[in-house]
Amino acid sequence: MVVAVFDPEDGARQDKREGLFGGVRRAMQFLSNENLFVWLAGLKRDYEVYVPLKKGPFRFYERYTAPSPDIVIGEVRATEPLKGFFTPVKEKVAELFNPEPLRKKQKPMAIVGVKACDLKGFLVQDQVFCKGCQDPFYNRAREDNLIISADCTQAIDSCFCLALDVNPYPESHFDINLSEVTGGFIVEVGSPKGQQVFDSHKTLFQEVDTMHVNERKEGRKQVVAEVERNIAKHGVPHQNEYQGMIERNYESKIWEDEAKTCTECGACTTICPTCHCFALVDQKEGAEFVRYRQWDSCMLKDYARVAGGGNPRPQLWMRLRNRFEKKFDFFPQVAGLNACTGCGRCITACPANIDIRRVLKRLVHNE
Amino acid sequence: MNNGHNPYSPIKTEVIDMIVETPMIKTLKLKPQEPIAFAAGQFVELTIPGVGEAPFTPSSRPSVNDMLYLTIMKVGAVTEAVHRLEKGDTVGLRGPLGKGYPIDLFKDKEILVVGGGCGFAPLRSLMYTLFERSGEFKKLLFRGGCKSAKELLYKHELEQWGEKPDLDIRLTVDVGDASWKGHVGVVTDILDPIGMDCQNGIAIVCGPAMMMKFATAKLSEMGFQDPNIYLSMERNMSCAIGKCGHCRIGLYYACHDGPVLSYDKIKGFRDVWA
Repeated sequence: MVVAVFDPEDGARQDKREGLFGGVRRAMQFLSNENLFVWLAGLKRDYEVYVPLKKGPFRFYERYTAPSPDIVIGEVRATEPLKGFFTPVKEKVAELFNPEPLRKKQKPMAIVGVKACDLKGFLVQDQVFCKGCQDPFYNRAREDNLIISADCTQAIDSCFCLALDVNPYPESHFDINLSEVTGGFIVEVGSPKGQQVFDSHKTLFQEVDTMHVNERKEGRKQVVAEVERNIAKHGVPHQNEYQGMIERNYESKIWEDEAKTCTECGACTTICPTCHCFALVDQKEGAEFVRYRQWDSCMLKDYARVAGGGNPRPQLWMRLRNRFEKKFDFFPQVAGLNACTGCGRCITACPANIDIRRVLKRLVHNE
Repeated sequence: MNNGHNPYSPIKTEVIDMIVETPMIKTLKLKPQEPIAFAAGQFVELTIPGVGEAPFTPSSRPSVNDMLYLTIMKVGAVTEAVHRLEKGDTVGLRGPLGKGYPIDLFKDKEILVVGGGCGFAPLRSLMYTLFERSGEFKKLLFRGGCKSAKELLYKHELEQWGEKPDLDIRLTVDVGDASWKGHVGVVTDILDPIGMDCQNGIAIVCGPAMMMKFATAKLSEMGFQDPNIYLSMERNMSCAIGKCGHCRIGLYYACHDGPVLSYDKIKGFRDVWA
């Protein structure tokens, strides 16, 4: 018999700050390192399984084929954002004048090792693609794909999730979560879909040890402390201080100053887990015309240009301002959240050293 | 809301006729395979296969939905392809999209419609609706302007409107010529005095951005209240269903919350008139 064990404190930070997702208590199980690979092999029957693979100092999602020491479930976020599994860079969304819905892909995807910052991305992406007129492709991917998230076991210099009230361990929006501990993982189920998957591999899971629970608690505390050190080092303001900062600094020199080095490459929007902008692009394919939904970037000059040449944001700094306005003014007002997860990807991706932490600091302090 | 349909997929549509309006403007008469029931001010996305899509507000009677008319000026890649279309060609339509004019709110009010250039197109559709419901409004006025007499849209129809006892209509052109007997000057010149109760009146403006900017300023000065000034906002649109991000104006998406937006909603945002 498996006895449910609950973490009495449910996360190390509850005393200080309510996590973004609140404190839901879930039953915990244990999965050994050996059984992880048995489980992944089993998942391959129903899913295309993706795992983070270490390459140099980075982690990239790769399709799982066989056990490998390069597979890193814990550590920290992958280089690429999760959104690509739900709205691919370029996805066929219509075959012109074929009213039939497009064929379903062979297998849904199971994405393993997803971190909490990427799960927050769902709050924004769901708001865009599931509210009002629904995007059937995104919705299908959300229904079919399986999210096996994982605690961060370390922070890197660009991590500042806590500033956005995202803890470095998943609290919701996952099907199953893994917390790395000695010899394996603590497993938590977060959705009915996760429960089904869990139940069909039940024999692989064992009762969880109090030692493991304590280990997880300690590990979480350590990563939280690492992120806190980052935040202190870079002086990143907490989101409680963001209200009104865009409006206050709308005419500020900050924008022109920060945009000086921008090369308009669009890396920041491409790599952002919350950026969702796209363009519909029609292309000839054989005898047919097909329509693609393709990622776009509000940093590019033509993004808002209308026929005839009018452009509401002709200058690069206006587009930089617009990007921050969308994240820290539009989304808070329409959806009650900042469209930033503190993942720090845009900091690493920017060839011009435009650092979102510095911009936030300047905005909050009117510098 | 999309009833299981693919919102990105257009309805196959036949080009029934191409009407030359001015050297730069043509009207397409289109027959979609499925009727598109739109309200005045709502828009459609027109697909030219292999070229792309662009948004247009129909210029025809909303009560007729098996056939619709789009009046289109040649300004970009899609519209150039539009001008090359011929009778019998196949195009695509998605729609109706966005929100139209809240005509029920105009009941028992005096209504002033202000149009500029190609802005006459969506306004024709609105005027048809207002004519059909003419008993419901206190007064109906139309003020229109365009660059020159040669570029005036729907000349024949405007003449007919001039004979309507329930419509007060005045037109102007920026540059006069021998053929033009009317007023010469910009449209804001013929707005004041207007002879209506501006404080409680409804004003509807559609035209190029600069024309709308100056007309709105003038209307405010005349006493029209911000929530009663309705503007047709032009923005780059792609998905037209509030997802792709392109057409955002402050807290609104022109495609989803507009394209018709009252001035009080957008007044506070900076890049409204670009």
